[in-house]
Amino acid sequence: MSVNRRKILCIGSAALPALHALTARAQTPAPRIVASFSILADMAQELAPAGAQVTALVGPDADAHVYEPSPADAKRLAQADLVMINGLGFEGWIERMVKVSGYRGTVVVASNGIQPRSGGHHGDDPHAWQDLALARRYAGNISAAFAQRWPQQRNEIARCNADYVARVDSLDRQVREWLGAVPRAQRRVITSHDAFGYFGAAYGVDFLAPQGWNTHSEPSAAAVARLIRQIKTQGVRAIFMENISDRRLVERIASEGGVRIGGTLYSDALSKPGGPAATYLRLMEHNARSLATALQA
Amino acid sequence: MTSGVAVADIAPAISLRDLTVSYRGHPAVHHLSGAFGAGTLTAVVGPNGAGKSSLLGALGGTIRDFEGRIERDPALRVAYLPQASALDRSFPVRVHEVVAMGLWPRIGSFGALTAADHAAVIDALAAVGLRGFDQRWLGELSAGQAQRVLFARVLMQDAGVILLDEPFNAIDARTTADLLALLQRWKREARTVIAVLHDLVQVREHFEQVLLLARERVAWGPTAEVLKAEHLFKARQMAEAWDETAPACKVSA
Amino acid sequence: MSLLASSLLGPFIEFPFMRRALVATLALSVGCAPIGCVLVLRRMSLVGDAMAHAVLPGAAAGFLLAGLSLPAMSLGGFVAAMAVALAAGFVTRATPQREDASFAALYLIALALGVLLVSLRGSQIDLLHMLFGSVLAVDDAALLQIAVVASITLWALALMYRPLVLESFDPGFLRSVGGPGARAHMVLLVLLVANLVSAFQALGTLMAVGLMMLPAAAARFWVASLPAMAALSVAIGAASGAAGLLLSYHAELPSGPCIVLVCGGAYIVSVLFGTRDGIVTRRLLATSHLTR
Repeated sequence: MSVNRRKILCIGSAALPALHALTARAQTPAPRIVASFSILADMAQELAPAGAQVTALVGPDADAHVYEPSPADAKRLAQADLVMINGLGFEGWIERMVKVSGYRGTVVVASNGIQPRSGGHHGDDPHAWQDLALARRYAGNISAAFAQRWPQQRNEIARCNADYVARVDSLDRQVREWLGAVPRAQRRVITSHDAFGYFGAAYGVDFLAPQGWNTHSEPSAAAVARLIRQIKTQGVRAIFMENISDRRLVERIASEGGVRIGGTLYSDALSKPGGPAATYLRLMEHNARSLATALQA
Repeated sequence: MTSGVAVADIAPAISLRDLTVSYRGHPAVHHLSGAFGAGTLTAVVGPNGAGKSSLLGALGGTIRDFEGRIERDPALRVAYLPQASALDRSFPVRVHEVVAMGLWPRIGSFGALTAADHAAVIDALAAVGLRGFDQRWLGELSAGQAQRVLFARVLMQDAGVILLDEPFNAIDARTTADLLALLQRWKREARTVIAVLHDLVQVREHFEQVLLLARERVAWGPTAEVLKAEHLFKARQMAEAWDETAPACKVSA
Repeated sequence: MSLLASSLLGPFIEFPFMRRALVATLALSVGCAPIGCVLVLRRMSLVGDAMAHAVLPGAAAGFLLAGLSLPAMSLGGFVAAMAVALAAGFVTRATPQREDASFAALYLIALALGVLLVSLRGSQIDLLHMLFGSVLAVDDAALLQIAVVASITLWALALMYRPLVLESFDPGFLRSVGGPGARAHMVLLVLLVANLVSAFQALGTLMAVGLMMLPAAAARFWVASLPAMAALSVAIGAASGAAGLLLSYHAELPSGPCIVLVCGGAYIVSVLFGTRDGIVTRRLLATSHLTR
């Protein structure tokens, strides 16, 4: 069955009890769910019971590291039925916010039960969603929390979960197929994001950081030389460096290093609606496709 | 010495018809008509602010904004030595180059200088008392020396009409005497010389024609007739300051 | 290879981008430095920076018409800068106003117009930043462009040398003998804009204006005549380019500012120790004089 049909079925099968609930007693307000950032919010939206309103504190295209909470956010938290976070140290600011807002309910940790990778100097690497296999865990934790909070809808929730997990698995197979077409030794890229550890481990891609590259607007000749040398000596095949504002400099480096310039990789946030990574599944698909295309000679 | 020949008998080198040069509506030269005879030495004298420099500017082509007509034989070259030229003395150029620029009509942008040209430059500098100065930078010279360099350039220009605006201003007596002798040489070469001067003794001794200007023509003709007391007195009556309340001039060209 | 040679030559031997940057700097010096000398002598030294802002309305117009298209914005920028330069030149010739004031007035008008045009699109894009490149990122097209402009500049300056010099120091005389003063003036302005705009795009504004003005300002303390100043300033510019690139390579410093600062160092050394009116030199030589 197609994705949309499944969705309609999922929502439709929830309609009956909802209708019953409406006619049977006084209206209950729609579930309000607040997620810490856009990727999590998207997952929650897929897994939540019908009519749920999901909002993200750190929206699409935004950076969780420079997030500044606003009074509106605090209000949203206070009025939420359920709050969910990634965990693994991704949201350093959430505990203070929750306390300040007065939210008394459960805070769901989506990454619960996942064995984290080491994130270098940051402690644990929190970007576990970059591995689709771990995304099943996320879905499981989220759905369990929903079922506990809204027990009357547990059947609907279970159906949505099964449906979503099936899509996740399907995409996981697809990604392995794409990347499998590239010999393992050639799967090396340089990217300035520090966020693809789980992806690299799961799908066999080496993500290298550009050595000694400060993200200043004007680089030194030494930095450019070092990057070119690194590309050549480490057998890098593609570079994804969106943080260099001078497009021509990226082209020069790629040309001298003999590598391809990849597109944009999305790590911590969805793109705006209409963009190539507007949902979590589309984000993973886009990244995988971009990598596979760039790595194929 | 004055020749005593009436202006009307000599073919004019330059004719003026109703020339008016104004600054912001106030005339510096007001409806001046007359003619400069070819091959004559004419001194232009008058009180300060009488329009003498403006007249020469119009004749020399640096002032293009005037009413009335200036008629001149177009084949005649005009060499103009302004009073305080807008020369940038700090620009790195040698005296030799400045003087050689007098040959512009022949050499233009690209023409090379011949050995004869170089010799002519040296001679011109000698004539103005600057022998040995040809390799000096223009910026190293005093004001009087720079003025003499420009005089030497006028010599190089070999012009039929020579306009000099207070040429002896910053120059010592000995050099002035030398330069005045040059004027006689020009007369012999049938060049037309028009010079603005203040020293009436010089004028009486060396110039045959005088234009006494006090914005308007007070007198124009042989020196002895023009420099009579009543003319000089009339010229001195000219008010130096502009009159803001003066009515519009009704005389049309 | 000895250690010194390897640290001086090694980076250029190993990396094409270093070689290109060196050639680009040399070509830029050849084109810009002689013009810088003329600007210094005509007291137009701040015009270069003004031109960097004058390109904005043209780039903004290109952006409004064709989006983020580099060719469109570059062409627009060139046209705008040329319009400002020629208009300023015209005002200077047609009125008593001097060149510094007319340039200042017109570039400010252009800049304000550009800011207005950019705001019409509603976004906060820094167009000028997009338009201006970096010496480390010079590609073949940019290199060719600078080289062509430099060649044309040398050729045109040689052609117009005499009227240009005359027009610069005695415009009244040139006018009275009917010389091509206006043409020489306009040619100078066209060359100025061509050099600056092509250099902006390839190397950024700092390097373009820096390499145009600093060597020229320094050369004045060693030689007097215009041709000698031009030759020396080219040499200073080229040497500073090489030294600046090596500094950027070995000391991890951004390349553009490095090169310009080496030029600046040359300037300071010239001011102090130049054989012609250097401050320290003058003091040291002021001991004796001749009898005549």
